[in-house]
Amino acid sequence: MLTVAEVSVAFGGFQALKDASLTVGAGEIVGLVGPNGSGKSTLLNVIAGVHVPKSGRVELDGRPLPLGSIAGVAARGLGRTFQVPRLAQRLTVFDNMMAGAGNQPGERLFDLFLRPGTVAEAEKANEARAVAILKRLDLLHKANGIAGALSGGQQKLLTMGVLLMADPKILLLDEPAAGVNPVLIDQQVAFLKLLRDEGRSILIVEHNMEMISSVCDRVYVLDAGSMIATGTPAEIRANDDVIRSYLGQPA
Amino acid sequence: MISFAIYALTIIAIWSVMAISLNIQFGMTGLVNFGQILPFAIGAYAVGIGIEAGIPWWAGILAGLVAAPLVGLLVILPARRQSQDYWALITLGAGELFRLTMLNVPSIAGGADGVTISRLGDRNLALGLAVGLLVVAYLVGQRISRGPLGRMLRVIREDEVLAATLGRNPMAYRMKVTVVTWAMAAAAGILFGYVVGYIAPTSFLVTDTFLVWTAVILGGPGRNIGVVIGAAILILLSVSTRFMAEWSGLPSDLVANLRLAVFGLVLVLMFLFRPQGLFPETREVRDVDGR
Ligand SMILES: Nc1ncnc2c1ncn2[C@@H]1O[C@H](COP(=O)(O)OP(=O)(O)OP(=O)(O)O)[C@@H](O)[C@H]1O
Ligand SMILES: [Mg+2]
Repeated sequence: MLTVAEVSVAFGGFQALKDASLTVGAGEIVGLVGPNGSGKSTLLNVIAGVHVPKSGRVELDGRPLPLGSIAGVAARGLGRTFQVPRLAQRLTVFDNMMAGAGNQPGERLFDLFLRPGTVAEAEKANEARAVAILKRLDLLHKANGIAGALSGGQQKLLTMGVLLMADPKILLLDEPAAGVNPVLIDQQVAFLKLLRDEGRSILIVEHNMEMISSVCDRVYVLDAGSMIATGTPAEIRANDDVIRSYLGQPA
Repeated sequence: MISFAIYALTIIAIWSVMAISLNIQFGMTGLVNFGQILPFAIGAYAVGIGIEAGIPWWAGILAGLVAAPLVGLLVILPARRQSQDYWALITLGAGELFRLTMLNVPSIAGGADGVTISRLGDRNLALGLAVGLLVVAYLVGQRISRGPLGRMLRVIREDEVLAATLGRNPMAYRMKVTVVTWAMAAAAGILFGYVVGYIAPTSFLVTDTFLVWTAVILGGPGRNIGVVIGAAILILLSVSTRFMAEWSGLPSDLVANLRLAVFGLVLVLMFLFRPQGLFPETREVRDVDGR
């Protein structure tokens, strides 16, 4: 479904990614691990249209993704979270959720002023979805508070909720477990599997190997901008190169 | 005295429309438009030029309402990939460019002498029209503010990368906002022309943009009723300084400059002590617990 082929990215003279490739199949959960600064977030940013690679291809469903166009990539059904949560800080949790829903008639001037019925109907449907998702994320009691007042872990969960409102086919998650308490991580793992069972594909960047092992079908290992290994979580844990470059590293 | 009160209310209503226009741009969307006077001037000049050219009154009005949003799009298009600092400079420059052109090319609209418009003789009618326009502008502002569009505009204001990540093109939204708000400001300018009966470059100064900004910052960016109250306070302050000039015997341009200093002071005090304005932006509270 998602194909990244030989992507290279340079920041000035610094080579952040060197011919990195990966694929994510339909209904697959794929992990991406590697030391700090190895280029994981950079790779997600290339896929999501934030950085334009120096060379390489990125395709979704066999068609190239618009390089460097964040909105263009999103419109193709790709949703992503950021390592540092991005939210509309001064808006309520509920409004953040509502903004996540795509194709809203009420954002078009014509419909907003001339078709109030259509707008109200769409709002109602989105409200019901937002309530259901907030419930699942255990954030419903915060619905009317501003997003900026949530704790770090809650903000991570909310960005996930906003993403789900957009109903993407494929999700890129940058460290969804960092700063989230272990009980919630277990809930997240169950949640991600549920999303997969709904037919979505997921690419997760994560340092928490336990989470990676319990949720991923396959894992890629990035080291200094190059893919050095790929396999099942068990294979990766047993791989000497990986142990040397990453797992063996004191945390 | 009554006739003065009617005139003051008319002027308050006109500048309130300007404040709502800027509120949608800056308060909701985060657009730093330092050329807010430009669409107002375009509206007024369209009427003036129309009269000089001998076209029917409604055609002049229509021309103003169409020209202002078009010019707005032309002005902001070069700023599409730039930050809001650039946006501020380009709108400021465009406003001044227009005024200086009108000043220095007398063949367009009389240069410094300006154009005389057959002014609305009936002051009550003028007030009625101004209040009517304000009501329409307020309803439009509220519909945007309370609806899905306003929500997305605020997301763009807070974090445009987030908006793009949600599949929205922030520039497309800025263009929508510009079309609506510049037409709104043009309508205010058209009415201003008919109320005052005379249009000259001195009516459209950077300081007038400054007045509208002060109204928005004072009243509460993001809150339509707040910026209307902000505009009312400042216009009342303005007209009362005019009385003060007569009463104190100070030269009128000194008093005019003092008025600007007072506006500046209002801005500084608001930034320091109450950046959310007198009437802060509200948040919709939803009843979600019942479900
Ligand atoms: N916009 C940028 N400009 C310059 N250098 C950058 C930029 N973004 C990333 N880098 C550099 O590229 C390298 C890879 O960064 P990246 O954020 O992709 O790492 P990461 O694998 O996500 O690390 P972490 O696990 O700490 O999040 C780092 O050395 C970083 O300093
Ligand atoms: Mg990272």
